Amino acid sequence: MPPLPTGWETVPVPMLAIDRLTRTYGATSALDGLDAVLEPGVTGLVGANGAGKTTLFRIVLGLTKPDAGTVVVDGIDVTQDPVAVRSILGYMPEHDCLPTDQSAADVVATLGEIAGLPARAARQRASDVLDLVGLDEARFRPIEGYSTGMRQRVKLAQAIVADPKLVLLDEPTAGLDPQGRHEMLELVRRLGSFGISVIMATHLLDDVQTTCDHVVMLDAGRLVASGPTEELLHTTGVVRVDVGGRGQELLAALEHEATLLADGTVEVNIEGEDDVDAIVAAVAGAGLPLHGLTSQRSTLDDVFLAGSASASA
Amino acid sequence: MTATGRVYDRGYRPYEGELGGRRAARMALLKASMRRALGIRRAWRQKLFPWLLLAIAGVPAIVNVGVAYLTRDRIEGGIDIITYQEYVGVSTALLVFVGLTAPDVVCPDRRNRTLPLLFSRPLTGVDYVIAKVGAIAAIVFAFGLLPQIVLFVGQTLVSDAALDYVADNAAVLWQVPIAVALLALYYASLAVAVSSFATRRIVAAAALLLLLLVTSVAAAILTEGQLEPSAWEAINLLAAPLNVRDLVLDGEVTLGSLAGVNGATGLALGVYALVVGTSLGTLLWRYRWIET
Repeated sequence: MPPLPTGWETVPVPMLAIDRLTRTYGATSALDGLDAVLEPGVTGLVGANGAGKTTLFRIVLGLTKPDAGTVVVDGIDVTQDPVAVRSILGYMPEHDCLPTDQSAADVVATLGEIAGLPARAARQRASDVLDLVGLDEARFRPIEGYSTGMRQRVKLAQAIVADPKLVLLDEPTAGLDPQGRHEMLELVRRLGSFGISVIMATHLLDDVQTTCDHVVMLDAGRLVASGPTEELLHTTGVVRVDVGGRGQELLAALEHEATLLADGTVEVNIEGEDDVDAIVAAVAGAGLPLHGLTSQRSTLDDVFLAGSASASA
Repeated sequence: MTATGRVYDRGYRPYEGELGGRRAARMALLKASMRRALGIRRAWRQKLFPWLLLAIAGVPAIVNVGVAYLTRDRIEGGIDIITYQEYVGVSTALLVFVGLTAPDVVCPDRRNRTLPLLFSRPLTGVDYVIAKVGAIAAIVFAFGLLPQIVLFVGQTLVSDAALDYVADNAAVLWQVPIAVALLALYYASLAVAVSSFATRRIVAAAALLLLLLVTSVAAAILTEGQLEPSAWEAINLLAAPLNVRDLVLDGEVTLGSLAGVNGATGLALGVYALVVGTSLGTLLWRYRWIET
């Protein structure tokens, strides 16, 4: 690439840029002037059922036309060239979508070929991605005999078989038991480390909090909050102190506003680092054991509820 | 794991090559649909009927060549049980094959809700229709033409003067492929269009065969007792491609249901174009938007 003229600099292209996106179904507004910019990485798209997540996915895939606004994926306008956008996307629907009378190896290889891979490369990559998602010899059996967890893995495998730049995952942990959910989230996290950007639509805030670098929150088609997960999970000004169940004694020793919790720990409101030092000193002065002292942070539930309240106000 | 064994996490390898676009996607779907229709990579039960029907479609050619060989010294010019023209579309095995396989390549996509997986790839509704109709048409064409080739080669070899036989029948070398291609397009577009409305294969197959039978019976009822050939024969969808076959091989309708009808050529072409056009138009409409 030739050097840029002096004073010019490269501007990174966002993975997904959404500008005033609007889509209505009759009297129902699925998306209402949505603006968002998503950087590469693993992004959680959060919202209750009907928040507009699936409509957004449909528009990104070029399967639904927006009433107004634009969506640009990696520099390509979806409404201008949906086929080009789909050639860099992978998609894992929420619902059952696999042909049950075929084996996973066949299905993933065929879908890889339809995504543009040469036949031999499609078979090889199908084998690789099925390895990656943890489907061993079962891949050669018809899908009708698979468990929900195995089917979710096949759905994920077909979404990444053609090495997409961006993968849209619609409720990837739906129907999974705790172990399966944990493994699926681990796979999603790994995709980010492979350089594949991910947008994971879910209503499970815990999944997003543990998995995603960025969060976009929707409510009734409108943006509630968005940003890096770490920035949204700000500290709350509360520390929890564990003194081995002797919280009552700590309360007596403290000069700060504090609350004794049912498990014997104490939540103390603080205003700065000096207050933490004062708490430690109070614990030591009262001759109490200090088992733990943790800074309490807001959860995504707090952020979502606060954002929803202010959006509807 | 053995004491010396080691487990490697191969991780993820990006794909370094070029990805094909719409054309590659269309071709891949066409090949996958052909494999499915022929039962390739499927259980033997799914292979049995398609291959049996396609084999049955070839039986008259083999019998014809066999009889011609056995009678070559006894009867001058040998015996022709079936002509090239009659062979185009005469076998109900091909029709039954289409009735069984067209639903099988279309209905499961809706029933299993696989369409979102297909349409999240560089594929459009037009590509989908081309691939599905193309897959069925290609198989019907191949298995409609193969017996004709057997017939031609066999008759050439058993004739007294092979070169003369080829020269006398040279026209069929282009006429028959065109006639078979038109038949294949007709069967495939109609069968896939009917199948696109059903999620269950058995329902689609029954609907297709019913449509063909009802129009055939209706035409028979409407023309019953008439001394002159009637234009009502045009509604017989089962016979419609055979009228067009006659146009390709004879330049006029000679054996088909519209033989002897005034304006048979226009009627035959019109009905054919209407059925194929309506079928393809219906399919494009059905797959213009895909629900996810």
